[in-house]
Amino acid sequence: MSAPCLNRFEKPPLLRADSISKAFGGVQALLNVSFEVSEGTILGIIGPNGAGKTTLFNVITSAYPPDSGQLFLDRKKIQNRKVHELVRLGIARTFQNVELFENMTALENVMVGQYTQTRCGIFAAAARLPWAVAEEKQAREEAMALLSFVGIAQYAENRSGNLPFGWQRLLEIARALAAKPRLLLLDEPAAGLNAVETRRLGNLIERIRHQGVTILLVEHDMNLTMTICDRIIVLNYGKILAHGTPEEIQSNPAVMAAYLGTSEVSPLIYD
Amino acid sequence: MKPECFKNRLYYGIFLPVIAVSGFVIDSPYYLQVLTFIGINTLLTIGLNMLMGYAGQISLGHAAFYGIGAYTTTILTVHFDFSPWAALPCTLVVTGMVAFLVGLPMLKLTGYYLGMGTLGFGMIVYVLFREWSHVTGGSSGMVGIPSLSLGPVSFSDSRNYFYLVWMIVLVCIVFCQRLIQSRVGRALRSISDSENAAKALGVDTKDLKLKIFILSALFAAMAGFLYAHLVTFISPGSFDFMVSIRMVTMVVIGGMASIWGALLGASVLTLLPECLHAFADFEMVVYGLILMLIMIFMPRGLTRGLMDIYERSVSKQI
Ligand SMILES: Nc1ncnc2c1ncn2[C@@H]1O[C@H](COP(=O)(O)OP(=O)(O)OP(=O)(O)O)[C@@H](O)[C@H]1O
Ligand SMILES: [Mg+2]
Repeated sequence: MSAPCLNRFEKPPLLRADSISKAFGGVQALLNVSFEVSEGTILGIIGPNGAGKTTLFNVITSAYPPDSGQLFLDRKKIQNRKVHELVRLGIARTFQNVELFENMTALENVMVGQYTQTRCGIFAAAARLPWAVAEEKQAREEAMALLSFVGIAQYAENRSGNLPFGWQRLLEIARALAAKPRLLLLDEPAAGLNAVETRRLGNLIERIRHQGVTILLVEHDMNLTMTICDRIIVLNYGKILAHGTPEEIQSNPAVMAAYLGTSEVSPLIYD
Repeated sequence: MKPECFKNRLYYGIFLPVIAVSGFVIDSPYYLQVLTFIGINTLLTIGLNMLMGYAGQISLGHAAFYGIGAYTTTILTVHFDFSPWAALPCTLVVTGMVAFLVGLPMLKLTGYYLGMGTLGFGMIVYVLFREWSHVTGGSSGMVGIPSLSLGPVSFSDSRNYFYLVWMIVLVCIVFCQRLIQSRVGRALRSISDSENAAKALGVDTKDLKLKIFILSALFAAMAGFLYAHLVTFISPGSFDFMVSIRMVTMVVIGGMASIWGALLGASVLTLLPECLHAFADFEMVVYGLILMLIMIFMPRGLTRGLMDIYERSVSKQI
């Protein structure tokens, strides 16, 4: 009796995945993956290499259509839309292999991120219409603010391809934030970062969550994942192996088995 | 941003006086005409540069749009007695529509395939110009294209035509510069670096590529219009495969993704054959060599290549 009553006051999940499956030829990258993310939380997605984490991101952002299953953002069906439409609905992402616009400055990268937030077209730009000029000025200020937020404002005018790797990762996050997402997908943001940078990244992710952005975090760095995630799902061979709070995951025997396998050192912390 | 701005002002500061003074001091109609051709080629190059240099989409058939521009205005003015100024908007509309219809399926291709597709399109249009003789005059072309005039000003005078063309070039340079530095321009440049990331940030890359394809076709049509009313006769040979290749070479020499570089590329490749008459038979070889060398040593073009080397030396200090 009490459960339905509670539900009425509970917020619906921001994102709901309902038995998502995706195969590439013979490889079943995802099989019946279902989960929910409530608004304002951080959901960690972990699993060994090739478990299907990036594929899950690609399916959520419509880079590939799922073979079956459904995705809902705020109860709205979102599968089979164009990639660029999803950004307007509030989903932004970063890439595992940083995909910056290398030949553009850091600031310009962030300003591309504002594409859906601005509306100046070819003729407004060529005619320098007053509203377009004002929009550009405001966009520039907001982009600078975002660069400060992630801590690389002093490199605004540097070609992004020339930035050190750690800052490229931060720039990619700033660029994704420029789209004012409700749901931010981070694909291994700590890969290639040193310990100090990783700690700062953790702090940054917390600050992003404090602004009300819901986060999906794929990450191999267990220290980071266990400290900042509210809930974690473990993928293994495309299937959800476990789902729970960080403590539950750490003490889950099935997870231990999948991760420990035959090796002595816990691969929870490798790569 | 500041040094960029300053550099741009400097270029205008050189460009405007050079054009104004050349028009005054040069009396020889031949030299004026050569300079006018540089202007027309600059229009072609700037347009193609938007597509190739900024959006990163190759077209090996752009002479087709140049030709469609020239033939449309010719047919309208010669067969249907349109005034050239009435023919101009029709020319732009016709070319824009062709670009839309061709670009829609073609821009699904990328890389070499897009190159091949546009190459094929260029050849088809060339064959149409040559074989559809009762409309286009066949391989002997069409004569009697009226000169332009505006009230008392006659553009059959080479000095006036020179100024007309360069005025238009100036407008186009300003147009493109403003576009490139805008939201649309940034989205365009982002496509050539990572189309995936551009899409993931909400850029409808398919739509944007199509728009720029049409825009660059319109630039070529404008150039074709100016060419037809300058030389007053046209034949298919002026719009063949070689012309497309020359356009690409101009963009590459000038440095992809550089508007002032486009001006440089157009100047070099217009003047080169004038200086090297001996190479006439080997034109293809010379262009091929230039393209090869630049692509090998400076894949992003001469001006860009030099700028990269400069930037790399500066940013080493980070
Ligand atoms: N575009 C694709 N074409 C074919 N197979 C693919 C494709 N993308 C992923 N796969 C396969 O799907 C499986 C899951 O890959 P995915 O990249 O999602 O793993 P992951 O969990 O992100 O791994 P990692 O930790 O290495 O990033 C792998 O076996 C991979 O080879
Ligand atoms: Mg991955």
